[in-house]
Amino acid sequence: MSEHSKSLAALLLAYGDDELVLGHRHSEWTGFAPHIEEDVAFSSIAQDEIGHAANLFMLLARLTDDDADRIALSRNASQYRNAIICERPNGDWAYTLARHWLYDVADDIRLGALERSAHAELAQLATKMRREERYHLIHADMWMKRVAHGPVEGRTRLETGLSSASTEALGLFEPIELEDEAVNEGWLPVPSTELKSAFVERTNGFLDDLGLPTEVRQDLDESAEFVASSSGDLIASSEQSDEQPAGPTGLGGRAGTHTSDFEQLWGEMTKTYQAHPGASW
Amino acid sequence: MSTQTTVELAVWEALASVPDPEIPAVSVVDMGMIKRVDVDGSNVRVTVLPTFTGCPAIPVIKQDVGEAVAGVEDVDTVEVETTFHPPWTTDRITEQGRANLKAFGLAPPTGRGPVLITEIGLPKRAECPFCNSTNTHNENPFGPTPCRALYYCDDCSQPFEQFKPV
Repeated sequence: MSEHSKSLAALLLAYGDDELVLGHRHSEWTGFAPHIEEDVAFSSIAQDEIGHAANLFMLLARLTDDDADRIALSRNASQYRNAIICERPNGDWAYTLARHWLYDVADDIRLGALERSAHAELAQLATKMRREERYHLIHADMWMKRVAHGPVEGRTRLETGLSSASTEALGLFEPIELEDEAVNEGWLPVPSTELKSAFVERTNGFLDDLGLPTEVRQDLDESAEFVASSSGDLIASSEQSDEQPAGPTGLGGRAGTHTSDFEQLWGEMTKTYQAHPGASW
Repeated sequence: MSTQTTVELAVWEALASVPDPEIPAVSVVDMGMIKRVDVDGSNVRVTVLPTFTGCPAIPVIKQDVGEAVAGVEDVDTVEVETTFHPPWTTDRITEQGRANLKAFGLAPPTGRGPVLITEIGLPKRAECPFCNSTNTHNENPFGPTPCRALYYCDDCSQPFEQFKPV
C-alpha cells in the first residue's frame, strides 16, 4: 500500500467499524424489541449498517490486498477503531433510540462530506449509502418526536437515554488516525472538527424544537469540547456495564481503546469466524 | 446487422429472463439494474447497479447474470461487475417492472422522475396493490428486505408492502 493510501485505509477502517459494531448492536433487538414493528425496523437497519460496513471493507480490502470478511472478523479487539458509543449495550430501548438518532445524524453529516471525497469510488458509495440512510433518519426522527410528545414515562426515559448517549456521541468525531493526511489528500474533504460543529448545531436545533431540557443539550454543546462532564452519568445507559468508560466523553475508540462492553460484543461477533477461519457461507 | 449487434441483442434478451431473486416476478432488466452491456467479439461485460448496498442477493444476481449470458450463442467469456455509479434509483424500474411488482402484490414506488435525496421518504398513502385504494397508512418504514416498507389498507383490511422510493 502506498504511503498516501494509509490515511484512506484508516478512514475506511474507522467508519466501517462504526457501521459494523453498531449494526451488530442493533441486530440484538431481533426478536426482543418492545414492539413487533421495531423488531423488523432494527433488524433492517442492522442489515443496512452491516452492508455498508461490508462495502467499506471491500474498498479497504482492495487497497490492502486483503479480504473483507477477514478485516471484519479476524482482528483483535484493540485493532477496532469504532467510536465507544457504538459498542455500548442496548440497555433501555429509549437509550437505543437516542443513540440511533444521534448516530444517524452524525452519519448523514459525514456521508454528505464523503460524497465529495477525492477517492471516486468512496464518493460514489457514500452517495448511494446516504440515500438509503435517509430512511434511518426518518425512522429516528419519527420516534424521537413520538416519544418526546408522548406520555411522561416515555419522555423521562428518553431524556435519561439522551443524557447518556449524547455525552459519548462526540466520540464519533474524534479525529481518525492520520486525519491531517486524509484531509490534505481530499479523501476526507471536511475535517472531523468541522463535521462535529455541524452535528452539534443540527442536533441542538432538533432538541430545541422538541423542547427537551437544557441539561441534555449541554452535553452536546460545542463548549463541552472533549472535556469531562458529569462522569457519573456516563454509564447510566449501560446498567450491565460495571466498568467506567474509556474516556471522559466516550473517546479513545479511534485509537483502539475500548471498554469491557466491546470485549463482550467482539467475542460474540467473531466467535464463528474465529472457530472456522476463512470459512465461507 | 453486424454480429456484434446481434450478440448484444441476444444478451439483453437473455438478461430479460433473469429474475430478481427476491422479487422473481420482475427481471433484472425491468428492475433497471443493468447499467450497460459491452460486447467485444465474443467477450461480454455486463455492468450491474445493485439496488441496495446491503442487499444479500447481489452475489446471486451476479451469478445468475453470468450464467444467463454464458448461454448466449457466440459468447465465450462473460464478466459481471457492479458499480454504485450512478446510484440505482427507483425511477429506473420500467413500466413493465412496475406492473409486475403490483401483480406480485408489492406496491410500486411512488413518483416517476428522479428522486432528489431530500425527497426520499414514505408517501402518506401508498396505493394498495390489491384494491387500488389510497385509504392506507404506513406501519413501518422498514420491512422484510431493505427495499420494502410496510403499509396497511384501511379499505380492504390487507397489510401490504411497498417498494420504497430511493
